[in-house]
Amino acid sequence: MSKSKLILDLAVSMGEELLKNGAEIYRVQETVEHVMAAYGAEDYNVFVLTNGIFATIHENREDAGSIVRNVPIGTVNLKKIAVINQMSREICQGSCSISEAKKRLEQCRKTSVMSKRVLIPACGVGSAGFCYLLGGHPFDSLFSFFLGMLLQWFLLFAEERHVSKFLTDILGSAMVTILGLVLYVLDINIQFDRVIIGGIILLMPGVALVTAIRDLFNGDYLSGGIRLMDALLTGMCIAIGVGAAIKAFQLLGGGALPL
Amino acid sequence: MISEIIVAMVSVLAFGVSFHIPKSEYLYCALNGGLGWAVYRICQNCGFGPTASALWAALVLTLAARVLSAVRKMPSTVFLIAGIFSLVPGSGIYYTSYYIIMNEVSRGSAKGVETFKIAGAIVLGIIFGLALPQNWFNHLGRMTERIGRRRSKEEQG
Repeated sequence: MSKSKLILDLAVSMGEELLKNGAEIYRVQETVEHVMAAYGAEDYNVFVLTNGIFATIHENREDAGSIVRNVPIGTVNLKKIAVINQMSREICQGSCSISEAKKRLEQCRKTSVMSKRVLIPACGVGSAGFCYLLGGHPFDSLFSFFLGMLLQWFLLFAEERHVSKFLTDILGSAMVTILGLVLYVLDINIQFDRVIIGGIILLMPGVALVTAIRDLFNGDYLSGGIRLMDALLTGMCIAIGVGAAIKAFQLLGGGALPL
Repeated sequence: MISEIIVAMVSVLAFGVSFHIPKSEYLYCALNGGLGWAVYRICQNCGFGPTASALWAALVLTLAARVLSAVRKMPSTVFLIAGIFSLVPGSGIYYTSYYIIMNEVSRGSAKGVETFKIAGAIVLGIIFGLALPQNWFNHLGRMTERIGRRRSKEEQG
């Protein structure tokens, strides 16, 4: 591979890793550009979308190169963003060679995700906390805690089996709602909607919505639009799950719910 | 309110774990989340609406995130995402789509407009916070570095 190809490949791979783990569009764009400039590329172009990167290098020279990468929208992993950010800083200072950077990137890719034993209780605690912040009673939070843990377990289970994201959202929120309804039928004195919202807060695309509008304000209209669509569809799927469970409950003669 | 701030810190930290925040930054992310919620509640107590409160909270925690990012040598996103997590209108999205599906369109659209207003306010807060020149924060980062170096020298000497 010629040197320009190597530079292009490394820069775009770093950008891909950032994008996949939830970095902002402008951060990805700047990182790719800075890395290419730091390794001495003179003429380059980068175009970043929420789910793809396009880049060319030395368009008018013998060693021209171009790359198109498809990057599916993934889950947020801030640690990897921090690692790549540090790498790009070192590259710009000139203290990291191409081959070394490649090795470190590979290492960063392989970093394992948090274990289930940590993730599941963490999600439970978060759910309980948000139930309380949204006006729930500590007693409601207790139930949110268990619903949140169950949801995280279900999400991990679905991820292992490659279930589609939208189906996961629908089934997950329906599952939490059904369990909430069971609590309601058992005549436990809870604020039904607070418990449910606390339980499914992990699915809510709140951060995605804010990121979408940020991209729009930055002038990345297409990226913002993609993320906005993703956030709205996710919200819709959650509501379908919850709505279907409640409708079914009412049809079965459960009567109106105090929402 | 103090109990709420503590709960906000704990839950931001809990979800921070699922966002894989670097372990060394747990404390700072939790502090930023608590700060955001504190400003939000104080604004509400002063009679601001939810939109204006979200704007001020987002502004303050963006500035805090940039200070932390300079001092801790981390991308500001780490602290920013953790910080806004307690403010983002997740429940608004839920209520909007829920009302629409339950055929209560007028309640749904009212909630929807409110949700977008809050999300927009948070974004404006972030944009104002990010608009300040970077070298102010760089200066701060260098200052803490100098203090750290002096302290380690004193320990050695």
